Amino acid sequence: MEEKKRTDEFEAGTAPPSRLNNREERRVQKWRKMIGTGGSDWKYYVRRKPNVVKRRIRKGIPDCLRGLVWQLISGSRDLLLMNPGVYEQLVIYETSASELDIIRDISRTFPSHVFFQQRHGPGQRSLYNVLKAYSVYDRDVGYVQGMGFLAGLLLLYMSEEDAFWLLVALLKGAVHAPMEGLYQAGLPLVQQYLFQFEQLVKEHLPKLGRHFDEEMINPSMYASQWFITVFSYSFPFPLALRIWDVFLYEGVKIVFQIGLALLSSCHDNLMKLSFEKLIHALRNFPDEAMNPDSLLPNAFSIKLSKRLIELEKQYNDRNGVSSHKQVKQPRLSRKAS
Amino acid sequence: MANRLDHDYDYLFKIVLIGDSGVGKSNILSRFTRNEFSLDSKSTIGVEFATKTLQVEGKTVKAQIWDTAGQERYRAITSAYYRGAVGAFLVYDITKKQTFENVQRWLRELRDHADSNIVVMLAGNKSDLNHLRVVSTEEAKVMAEKEGLSFLETSALESVNIDKAFHTILKEIFHIVSKKALAAQEAASMSGRRIQGTTINVADSSTNTNKSCCST
Repeated sequence: MEEKKRTDEFEAGTAPPSRLNNREERRVQKWRKMIGTGGSDWKYYVRRKPNVVKRRIRKGIPDCLRGLVWQLISGSRDLLLMNPGVYEQLVIYETSASELDIIRDISRTFPSHVFFQQRHGPGQRSLYNVLKAYSVYDRDVGYVQGMGFLAGLLLLYMSEEDAFWLLVALLKGAVHAPMEGLYQAGLPLVQQYLFQFEQLVKEHLPKLGRHFDEEMINPSMYASQWFITVFSYSFPFPLALRIWDVFLYEGVKIVFQIGLALLSSCHDNLMKLSFEKLIHALRNFPDEAMNPDSLLPNAFSIKLSKRLIELEKQYNDRNGVSSHKQVKQPRLSRKAS
Repeated sequence: MANRLDHDYDYLFKIVLIGDSGVGKSNILSRFTRNEFSLDSKSTIGVEFATKTLQVEGKTVKAQIWDTAGQERYRAITSAYYRGAVGAFLVYDITKKQTFENVQRWLRELRDHADSNIVVMLAGNKSDLNHLRVVSTEEAKVMAEKEGLSFLETSALESVNIDKAFHTILKEIFHIVSKKALAAQEAASMSGRRIQGTTINVADSSTNTNKSCCST
């Protein structure tokens, strides 16, 4: 519980002053140059130097530019520009079958975060509007619990309309759609991810994998939230933001990598625990394990791209591809990697 | 499983906490296991888990409780947790009619995915909001009787009937299990076979389900 609170208490947009040294300023300058005015140079830069972009993103997007860069990476900026007035239409004139479901969850989304705390305050109103608009825009999916945490995280960095289009980019695709199919009926993609993750644990951490088997621990007990909310549900914001930076550029692979890196960093302790304590430990990682500056480099060093594709095929073969026909292949990583 | 002799309990009962989203399942769980209630809790994504050990008729019983996300979309994940459960704590909100009407759907879920002799406790939660009540105690009682469920109205906020409800369901499970054990014992002695010490496998899937139940 304490851990969860801590997540919400972090205020976005305020980096500790000690970090705003010269180096940080130079970094921001580099980023500004890369983006250009209002994002005008971004596409050019990405095309010309995808690996430089990737490397810089992996080091963390400067917080003051994060909102804009997220929109550029995901392609949501283009969606916004191509669809003037659409968001307003969805919010004001359309009705959604999910309205009551959304209202019920509004006060249960980042409830201790100052921006969302106030009942019917600006934070809660924006959250409602974005979720409602999405549920109308994509009626097949509608509103699914978990989306609120995505929208909430986005709203800390951008306007309602921008957050809406970024949500669309994530779930329906612009540049790529890292979460496409995730919230469909039956949660097919979540099930696939959990299968892939279980196999990867066995391959990368065989001892721990055997221990989990013996203790009857499977990833649905601890990792569903990782995939459904990309670590925004209960992880400290500073870590979640760094993961999102990479997630938006490279895709869902980072979720697997972070998951494995977390397990790996707590490996010896986890090996000692039995079922109940294991479940608790897997939901409450110690602070030192969640330090982005050590966790992310460890995560990047785990190479998964090829294996993820093989495991996806294996999963589809096992489950009969027919039942997953409607799910397009998720883009596990972009060409740049 | 059977070689784990370090148990600090006589019986382990797996219970699932189900019902529509927002009826107060997670707060019922935290009230029962930690005596905590939170007005600003997050919606549950996937499943949560907690345990509590208590005495039932002189035996130490450990309740292993799985709290599930209530939204229909999540049943793909949560229904796997019904397997091996010997009890279900089915919650509705006395101030929301729909959550009571959906009790039938939850019962169907149990029929489809859970053990056929699972013990079900129906709980009408938020009894502290009596002024907003739309589901009468009477109609819930009638339904519970018709469906063969135990029934109590609860308030996780004011800590009313939470312990009692869990004690009731655990006691009922305990009775079924010990009756089965007795029957098994008698059957064994009638047929002249030797009874294997304490390892009488009570119910096909009830006791000794120590963690054996939730593989997806």
